[in-house]
Amino acid sequence: MNENTLLSAEGISKSFGATRVLSGVTLSVAPGEPVGLFGPNGSGKTTLVNILSGLLLPDAGTVRFDGKEITRLPLDARYRLGIARTFQIPHPYPALSLHEALDVAVNAGRSKEGGGSGKDGEGPVEDLLERTGLFNQRFVPCAQLSQGCLRRLEFARALACRPKLLILDEIFSALSAADEGDLTALLRAANRDEGTAFLLVSHNPPLLKTLCGRILVLEEGRIVRERTK
Amino acid sequence: MRDAVSFRGGWLAAGIGLLLLFPLSSPDAFFLDVFTTGLLLAAFAASWDVVGGISGQITLGHALPFGAAAYACALLTSLAGWPLPLAVAASVLLAAVVGAGIGALSARLSGPFVALLTLALGEIAHEAAVGNTLLSGPGGYAWGGEGGIPVTLPWQDPPPFSSYYATLVFLCLATYGMLRFSRSRAGLILRAVAGSPITAQASGVPIARIRRLAFTVGSAFAGAAGAGFALHVGRATAVDLSLELSFQAATFAAVGGRGTIVGPVVAALVLHVLFQGLSLPSSARVLLYALTLLVTLRFFPGGVVGTARTLASRLGRKAGPRPPRPNGRNRNGEGTP
Repeated sequence: MNENTLLSAEGISKSFGATRVLSGVTLSVAPGEPVGLFGPNGSGKTTLVNILSGLLLPDAGTVRFDGKEITRLPLDARYRLGIARTFQIPHPYPALSLHEALDVAVNAGRSKEGGGSGKDGEGPVEDLLERTGLFNQRFVPCAQLSQGCLRRLEFARALACRPKLLILDEIFSALSAADEGDLTALLRAANRDEGTAFLLVSHNPPLLKTLCGRILVLEEGRIVRERTK
Repeated sequence: MRDAVSFRGGWLAAGIGLLLLFPLSSPDAFFLDVFTTGLLLAAFAASWDVVGGISGQITLGHALPFGAAAYACALLTSLAGWPLPLAVAASVLLAAVVGAGIGALSARLSGPFVALLTLALGEIAHEAAVGNTLLSGPGGYAWGGEGGIPVTLPWQDPPPFSSYYATLVFLCLATYGMLRFSRSRAGLILRAVAGSPITAQASGVPIARIRRLAFTVGSAFAGAAGAGFALHVGRATAVDLSLELSFQAATFAAVGGRGTIVGPVVAALVLHVLFQGLSLPSSARVLLYALTLLVTLRFFPGGVVGTARTLASRLGRKAGPRPPRPNGRNRNGEGTP
């Protein structure tokens, strides 16, 4: 593994019953690098994202982050380590307001129940709300948010731990042009200003070409092509 | 906002005032017992709400920490000869440990699987206490059975109403403690886990640990109520571990409003005093509790407090924007923290 590698996955395989979804996938992401992941439906993108983020265990292969092996580390521990992910379909907290939802993300990692590295207090929550354009709706219950606001909330939640790596699963799907533009600007800013690397999963090749320096193409559970700008 | 706070405070003060004045009505021993037991059940119902309401882990074995503490209190005072305060403290600690154990076993489960696991654990403990399956038999050792184990009390003729007032103070303190917990950051994280475990985990929350915390805290309060109950009735019996007791707590919480703490307290007091005060046979009470639960779930799924909040919210929207709460956690929309 290259010393300048933030995340590396080697020989990742995964089957569900008799269906082989991933077959020996190997990839790496450098610190601050914007990487795209493209592939047709059923190619294994979400399964790969779930394995990289700690939601699923691979049948074979290893995942390393910042030089440490994290193959069996769960989702929450990876978040506290600096790997944040968003979901293709957001699962908001129905009874919590936007402010409370981000409060959990900012503080869960550092409280006794969590133990991570996020900042304490209201400041970071307000800052995230401002950055993602959600400040005026901060007391609205998550259950009442529009699709665009839910995606922004997902993004804000992912940024709350000041991640070194963002894994974004179809975060631009089903968005208005305005929302897509805003999220694109936010992603660029996080990458440029904070050096946050990202792995962006999308069905949209022009968007990937715009945002990513390198695009990996996944087909039938294998990386079949790699395009560099 | 100040109006809303003083309105809620007014109801609370009125409720506590009525309970304080109740002995002035010269109730007979039966009604005093019904009210005292109601106060203990109210604390027990609120403790169920910490687990089943705030953290969303529906438990049907909540009588286990309650009964474990009652039995511990009885055994430690009568067999081991421990001083009462020490025995009560140890009983509460034991209940918390029992809760942590249940939490550890059920932390990775959700929905009906939690209910089934806790139901099974509770029933095992109940059967063991009855002594019919595990511990009795020819030449066997039945530690209590239906008759239970007596609690050795350091007093013989306590002043009238002392048990009632002590229980009322306990209920107020326990409710305050549980409310503080539910409104703490840990409580917020628990509500997040209850709402969407996967998003909470993706936000850095170790859900197994936080669910175990809910079981531990809820069980500690259930244990305090259980020890209090043993002191009140003078013995620990197998009924303290029964499914009926767990079911009652869940019913009180559903009727009062899950996740509100105060709702289950009020529902437990009202329903227990009403159903027990009518001197109905046990089977009729179970039927009434079941009917109350069915009606609530069908017509008022948010319980009394949840329905009242919804109505207030609708009225508030008609009346115009509401200012935020002082802690900045207004869930109704507008304002600044």
